[in-house]
Parts: sequence; C-alpha cells; structure tokens
Amino acid sequence: MSNMEQAAPRSLMMQRLGGGKAMWITTAAAVVILAVLPFVLPNRFYIRLVNEIMIYGLLAMSLDVLLGYTGLLSFMHNAYLGLGAYATGLFMIHIWPESIWISMLVGTVFTMAVALPVGWVQVRTGGLAFALLTLSFGMMFYTVAWKWYDLTGGDDGLMGLPQPMISLFGIDLASSGNSTAIYLFTLGVLLMCFLFTWRVIHSPLGAVLEAIRENEERASFVGINVRRYKLIGWMLACGLAGVAGSIYILYRGYTGPGVMGAFEGAGVLMMVLLGGMGTLWGPFIGAALFIVLKDQLSSWTQDWEIFIGAIVILLVLFLPKGVAGLPALFQKSPGGEG
Amino acid sequence: MFAITVDIILNSLVLGGIFVIMGVGLNIIYGLNRVMNLAHGALYALGAYFGYTVVSAGGNYFLAFIAAPILVGVLGLIIERVLITPMRKRSMIYTLILTYGLMFVIDGLIKFFWGVETRFIHLPEFMQGSVSLGSASYPVFRLVILIGIAAVVAALMLLLGRTRLGINMRAASEIPEMVSACGVNVRGVQISGFVLGCMMAGTAGVLAGPLFTVFPIMGHDMLISSFVVVVIGGLGSLRGAVIAALMIGFVQTLAEFFITEMAMVIVYMLMALILVIKPLGILGEGKFE
Repeated sequence: MSNMEQAAPRSLMMQRLGGGKAMWITTAAAVVILAVLPFVLPNRFYIRLVNEIMIYGLLAMSLDVLLGYTGLLSFMHNAYLGLGAYATGLFMIHIWPESIWISMLVGTVFTMAVALPVGWVQVRTGGLAFALLTLSFGMMFYTVAWKWYDLTGGDDGLMGLPQPMISLFGIDLASSGNSTAIYLFTLGVLLMCFLFTWRVIHSPLGAVLEAIRENEERASFVGINVRRYKLIGWMLACGLAGVAGSIYILYRGYTGPGVMGAFEGAGVLMMVLLGGMGTLWGPFIGAALFIVLKDQLSSWTQDWEIFIGAIVILLVLFLPKGVAGLPALFQKSPGGEG
Repeated sequence: MFAITVDIILNSLVLGGIFVIMGVGLNIIYGLNRVMNLAHGALYALGAYFGYTVVSAGGNYFLAFIAAPILVGVLGLIIERVLITPMRKRSMIYTLILTYGLMFVIDGLIKFFWGVETRFIHLPEFMQGSVSLGSASYPVFRLVILIGIAAVVAALMLLLGRTRLGINMRAASEIPEMVSACGVNVRGVQISGFVLGCMMAGTAGVLAGPLFTVFPIMGHDMLISSFVVVVIGGLGSLRGAVIAALMIGFVQTLAEFFITEMAMVIVYMLMALILVIKPLGILGEGKFE
C-alpha cells in the first residue's frame, strides 16, 4: 500500500506542476520556430521532411496515449492513419472535393467508426491478446486496402486527389497544394490536437487511464470499469490517428496500401520508444529522430530493416524510457521502469 | 464433386497441421516463459531457408527436415540467452516489442543472405507425381508432408506425455515454484521450452517450404495466422491451439477455394465472432492475463 501512496501521486504531481511552466514555454518556442521555418529554410525538401515529421509525430503521440498512458500495445497503429487517409481521399474524390474541414471530419469519424467495434472486441480479451489482435486486425485492413482494387486502387493507391482551398471562417486562405500552406495547416492542427490531448491526459480521465496502466486489478477494485476506460483510451488514440491520416493524404496528395503495412507500424512504435513513452512530447522527438535516421540509413544501405530492428532491441534492453529518460539516467535517480 | 471434397479436406488438414505446429510452438514458449515470441514467423521463414540451402547444397529433403529445425533451435538458444534472459523481470510489453524488433532483424538478414527472389525447394523424384484416390488425384509431396506433420505431432505428444522433460514442462507451465521445490532445475526446463518452440517454428518452415514456396516475408502471414490460432484457442492452451488450428485451416482453405482474394478477411471475422462469444478463447481459462 505504501508503494502506491508514494509512487502514483508523485509522478502525477510532477507532470501537472513541476513540468508545467517549462513545458508551456518549450511548447510555445517549438511552435514559433516551426512556424517561421518555411520562411527561412529555402529548401522545399526540408520543409516536406519537417511536415512528415509533424504528421508522424501526431500519430506517435496518439500511440503514446494508448501505450504510455493506458498501458496497451498496438502494433499497427498506422493502419488507423491509413483508414483516415483512405476515407478522406475517397470522400474528396467521389463525394465532395470542396471543403478541407469536412473531409478531415469525415476521415476522422470514419476511422473512429471502424475502431469502435474492433476496440470493443479487443478490450474484452485482456492485455496480451489485445496486442496480438491489433496486429491481426491491422493486417486485415491492410489486406482490404491492398486487394479491393475497385475501391482503393489496390497496389497503385488512391490517385488524382483534388486540392481544396484551406479556408478559415469562410475565407479562402491558400490552396492545399501549396507546400507552405499545407505545412502551416499541419502545424495548426497538430497544435490543437496536442493541446486537446494534453488537457485530456491531465484530467481525471487521464489519471484513470494511468491507474489502469499501473495496476489493472487494483483499478477495478476501486470501482473503475477497466474495459470501458480502455476502450475510451483506444478511441482517443484512433481518433487522433484518423486526424493524422486526413492530413497525411492532404499533404501527400496520394496514399497507397504500403502506409498501412506491418513494417510502418513497427516504425511508429519505435518513434514512441525512441522519444520516451508516457510523455506526449517525447514521441515528437522520436518521430524526428526516426525519420531523419531512416532517411540517412536508406541512402546509405539497402538493408536498413536490420538496423531499425537492432535499434529497437537495443532501446528495449538499455534505454526503455527513450530520449525522455536520458536526464534521469544521468541524475542516477532510483526509480526503475515497470 | 468428390475430387473437390478430397482436395479441400486434405488441403485443410495440411494447412491446419502447419498451424498446429506453429501455434503449439508459440504456446509452449508462452506457457513456460511468459514470452509471446513475435519472431516466431521469422524463425519459420528461416527454417524454410535452411531447408532450401541444405537441399540445394546436394542434401536430401529428409536431411533438410532434420537439419533445419536443429539449426533454428541453436539460434533459439542464442536468442534466449542473449535477449530473453535479461527481460525476465520486465513487463510483458517490453518483450513483445523486443521480439518484434528481432523479427525485423531476422527478416533483414534473410534478405541480406538469400536475396528477395522466390526460392523453390527441390523435391526427390518420387515426390513429384500425383497419386489417385478413387476418382480424385492428389500430389504425392502434399501427402508426404501430411505424414511429416503427423509424425511431428506424434513425436510432440510422446515428448510431452511420456518423457521426464515433457512432464516437467507441463508442470512448470502450471506452477513453476512447485516444480522447483521438487528439485528440478526450472530455468533449464524453461530454456528447453523456448528452444523446443523455436525448433517447431523451424520444422513448420521446412514443411511449408515446398507447399507455399520460399520467400523473405513468408513468415508474416504465418505469424498472424498463428496469433489467430493461439488467441482463438486460448493463450497457453495446447489443446485449444490444436482445435483452433484445424478449424482455421479448414475455414481458410474453404474461403480460399471460393473467394480467393480476401480469404483472410473471413478468417479474421470468424476470430472476432468467437472472441465476442468467448473472450478468452475456446479453452482459455484466463489464468495468465
């Protein structure tokens, strides 16, 4: 009992108050730097790289809600990015190409509508089977995207996407085909999602999710409906992944089934691990490190799969808390990982 | 009609048999070590490639059938000692992620050493024809593989039911402390369980090589199917895995026969349906999770 009294409130307090002020200053600084980047960096290639980092950072953050806060593992969270991307793309191609906001809403709602029954089945089975099922269902979505040629274009993917205007309060700002415009748009959506998630995670709901992560049995003894809250965590994570997917297709103007593959899923998992799970901001650092690393490795060797896998193994063995765990490592604090 | 029925029944027995070997291997590792080995599919692919190498180096298919599992087993021992042992006290999420990383390392190494082209295991002369069963005919090599599967399953039943090691294994998967109190080296039993599971993945690979051809990501689909099998059967339940494997083998063969393209979707739907009715699997007791 003393274990729980000491450990749980301290970590919560540190996140709520201790990290509070520094956290907001860092966030504001990061947003300002990211916002001026397209105007000072002349090279379009780097702008697109940062744009991709932001999208995958959002996806990794959504996985962190599941993995770092609820303690549930999803191997193929990218499948829900893919669902959001396909739904947004198909809606724009076949139904209504005009509005960027409606398309994003449709993508996100569709993703959550698919995630609901899947999550409902998954939370009934327990922690380990949950993880295995995410892989099975993820592969199912991948198979559908790959084989349902008439709808998804199969291996060729969705092409010929319209480029709607980015509008705010009825005023058209710029075409989403403009790389600076879509970059700033991504940054804005990202900031909104981050603030929303930060708020949710640091509300009583977040505390319940953490309680489930720390000890499921104890959480159920104090009257928490564990399955329901796991499902809420899952839906939050999948909804955010759907948003990431909608921006992904708006930014790329294309999506193929490859984005939903198992290897991409491992990449997202690695971003969370690299940055440090249970922090929300760590996955963004992880996404930046991973995408730059992948970019460098793939230009250097064909067999970068081996290196990515080896880095995952080394991370789990020696640095399970990722970059976010580095300061604690140097301070030699007594707390180990769970 | 008779020919089709014979085809479907024998094919589903072959496919189900491969699933049995994979699923039981996963469950033995899980039952003894509480490790869900996500590199199981990669070890399966490795078994097929070892088999291919032995045959193309002039060896017999039956030699490959013996050699490949042993080679995979040696690798399994190294994996256990180097990677799994340091993880024993950690949360299960970390071992899941670790073995997932291992899967990509092995996949990458396969591509590095054998290339990405599809390989074919060359079979002996007598296995290349067909045998007639009434009005139906069936390829001989599939029958031989079916017999191989039966032999492996029989050997496994003997090992688990009749030998001291097998009995210790079954006991240690229930109450390791009690087995330890009887003076048995439980760590040794756990390690042999891990190696046995890896060898079974290798066996499944060398058996499946001639059936589905040999290619680098052949383990991915098999890994997912094995998960379906162990989750439906109930985690850690060997009997459940056998029932689920034969059932999935049958459903998948039927679905592939009638709708080809999206057969796996039917299998996943069936899995979801079973889990809605029985969340812990057919014979799952919910002891471990």
